[in-house]
Amino acid sequence: MPNQVTHRVCDFLKDIEPFSYLDRAVLLQVAARVEVRYQPPGTVVFRPGEPPRDRFYVVKEGTIELFSEDQSGEELLVERCGEGELFGIRPLLADDNYVFVARAAEESLLYAVNSEGFRDLIGNYPRVLQYLLASMAGSTRYARAYRAATAKSTAPAPDEVTPDLQALQFVQQSREPIVCQPEQTIIDAAKAMTEAEVGSIVVVDEAQHPVGIVTDRDLRRSVATALVSRQSPVSAIMSSPVVCIGERATIADVQIAMLRSGYHHLVQTADGTDRSAVTGVISEHDVLLAQGNHPAVLIQEIGRAKSPRYLRELRDRAEAILAGLLDKEVAISYITAVMTQINDAIIRKSMKLALARMQADGHGNPPALFDWLALGSQGRGEQLLRTDQDNALIFEDVPEEHYNAVKAYFLQLADYVTEYLNTAGYSYCDGNMMASNPKWCLSVAKWKAQFSRWMHDNTAEHLLNTSIFFDYRGVWGNGSLPDKLTAHIFAEMEGHSTRFQASLARAALQNPSPLTFFRNFVVERSGEHKDQFDLKARAMRPLTDAARILILSARKGNINNTFLRYEALAKLEPQNAQLYQDAAEAYEVLIRLRAVLGLKRGDSGRFVAPSELTRVQRLLLRNSFAPVREIQQLLELRFQLTFLR
Amino acid sequence: MEGSDWLDRLRYRFGSHATDSETGSWPEWYRNYRVTLAGRTVSPDQLLRELPIVVLDAETTGLQVTRDRILSLGALRVYGNSIHLAEKFEGYLPTPPHHTPGDSVAIHGIIPNSRRYTYSDEPTLLAELLDYLGASIIVGHHIGFDLEMINRSLARHGAGPLQNRIIDTAQLAKRLRPAGYWTPEGEYSLDSLARRYRIPLSDRHTALGDCYITAVLWLKLLTRLAIKIGHDLHLRDL
Repeated sequence: MPNQVTHRVCDFLKDIEPFSYLDRAVLLQVAARVEVRYQPPGTVVFRPGEPPRDRFYVVKEGTIELFSEDQSGEELLVERCGEGELFGIRPLLADDNYVFVARAAEESLLYAVNSEGFRDLIGNYPRVLQYLLASMAGSTRYARAYRAATAKSTAPAPDEVTPDLQALQFVQQSREPIVCQPEQTIIDAAKAMTEAEVGSIVVVDEAQHPVGIVTDRDLRRSVATALVSRQSPVSAIMSSPVVCIGERATIADVQIAMLRSGYHHLVQTADGTDRSAVTGVISEHDVLLAQGNHPAVLIQEIGRAKSPRYLRELRDRAEAILAGLLDKEVAISYITAVMTQINDAIIRKSMKLALARMQADGHGNPPALFDWLALGSQGRGEQLLRTDQDNALIFEDVPEEHYNAVKAYFLQLADYVTEYLNTAGYSYCDGNMMASNPKWCLSVAKWKAQFSRWMHDNTAEHLLNTSIFFDYRGVWGNGSLPDKLTAHIFAEMEGHSTRFQASLARAALQNPSPLTFFRNFVVERSGEHKDQFDLKARAMRPLTDAARILILSARKGNINNTFLRYEALAKLEPQNAQLYQDAAEAYEVLIRLRAVLGLKRGDSGRFVAPSELTRVQRLLLRNSFAPVREIQQLLELRFQLTFLR
Repeated sequence: MEGSDWLDRLRYRFGSHATDSETGSWPEWYRNYRVTLAGRTVSPDQLLRELPIVVLDAETTGLQVTRDRILSLGALRVYGNSIHLAEKFEGYLPTPPHHTPGDSVAIHGIIPNSRRYTYSDEPTLLAELLDYLGASIIVGHHIGFDLEMINRSLARHGAGPLQNRIIDTAQLAKRLRPAGYWTPEGEYSLDSLARRYRIPLSDRHTALGDCYITAVLWLKLLTRLAIKIGHDLHLRDL
């Protein structure tokens, strides 16, 4: 009979991912081998560079903080793990050294789980595997470490997404292997790898059978540290034997083989053993890309769609992808990039359908150059769920006598586009901030004039209009027209910047309605959403508004994404870097939370009742309030001072 | 169980100066234990965290050492800052026939001869315990009573007493915060200390559950004592 203490450990673990996926009997076995580790405040659990131990940790009581060290030895707080959170899972999946310093922030009690025994279980519990892989590869917690440890990024920046998505292939079609002979020198092997832009080279015998593999990491370890001469044969540093896998292996096979062996690269051979010829190499990176396969297929399908109704179906499918990505806790930068690609594809498809419709109606081709702009969250590339449309149209200046006819054409075109988008599930904007509104469908010159008027006469409505217009992104057209408008806006701002920015800042600080407190939350006191928390107005908008104003006053108006804005601000003002970083992280938490809630309820996820949140979600949400408050204080201070001068 | 002076005297009388006639009649498992102990001497200069520690607890039929009997023994190993659950010691004895289940059942919840447990007999349990203990330092809360129960049991089976170094967590707690006007004697019970040092009181009054609480208390007390003394603890500091 397992003893009471084991049962107690088991009871604690059973609610925590990934232990929650295990059967009770299995979990009892895991619990029976736990070491309870006591960490007095300030003591270190592990340090970077230390070889992995045969255990990973769950916080039973207290708090463990993970720090990364930069080149100068400065410590940066990466993660704070509270009760029930896992850390140090790296040794479970790979034979890497630790990347962070883990230190007890307060008196803490840890459960050290034996990873040997745990690894044996993983094969039988795919959800455990999935959870661990996702948390290693994508979650915010490990993303930084992972990116640092792998040569290529797993969360590509937005502009890198398209090629990656298109290049996605199933593992069967892994690239042609780069090979060398055991007696070739290390430097030759390194050159071959560099030329082919690959991270590994397979060492083969005369019959092309694999005898070993050399990866970037092996090179770094041995050569860069001068342990081995560059003129030595590759056989001196290769890992041998290699782990082989057949050509028809599924992604799951590959993942399990990688986990079992702790290797990041597998060699594909004709018969799946090292007694046949090499046919390919699969890296951990390939697996991650393959897992992200579906968005690419979806985007292709959007390109083939013939009706807006089918677009809606595809967009519903995108929501399933979104749910999967959120579930696996993939980095939000990757999720937003993928979803922005999908949203853009749908906008472009709607535009194509609308242009075809104009032709069919006998209106012919567009009479002038034009750009279609996405505004608001889609403009910032931060839209995950379908929200109201926010868009605008800008066309080149035409002679006065043609203006009305040209504008009529574009209004009709915009009517179709917004209609199709509405059918696809992006409902019409309440405030009518859409290209089908005559005020939002203008030539360059008229846009400039309208903008100047808004800036001079800063009523609340005009301020809102201007602020929305700093977050635009061209989705159709060549971008030359909005660039002209941007240039004009910045020229205008030169003259009125102080007053204008102060007004924007004041608008951003305005509290929309009276509030009350409910279980540590500021909730709406009355109206339809009484006792609910307005995620957008109370937490997200203050962060996006602040980022916009600060980046404008720093004259970096061309950055139009909240994360990128905070990143740029952190560089511009090193003294506030921590605050900006906290603000970006809080924003990430909020985006994620809103998407998760919205998906669950089938709405925009904007309003949340404290009672529907899990303990962790409530904690995350509450923690995000601190940066919101601090960033508002910073705005207040900065722009009041400017205002008074 | 005040201090351990009387225990030391007891040990002096029975243990180290045992006569040949006594040692000759020892059971084999006890002789092996003594050989293991003789082979390991610990210097007072050794760091505590480098020494093998066993946290021990006994559940008994009552509190009268002359009359009552051991019902279960539990022990956990502590290395440095870690408690190793996999290396636990746990054993149950059937309730002796002449003992009517009394108040103690309400305390430890061991129903006489319940089928939930696998019982062994006293000499086997003692032999296993000594094998588990080896030369480790024994840590326990108000450990004097548990030791006396075990030593009497050992004597009943022709063996000598336990010879390990003993540390009482209640004494340790007193040293950290001496009794006085504000801290009455009762404040050093396992319950009060667990509350003071914020250790959850689950599975109280099971041998292993108490061991676990005591083990965590031990780790917490050591850290505080090290801070108070100002350096890493050596055996001589205790």
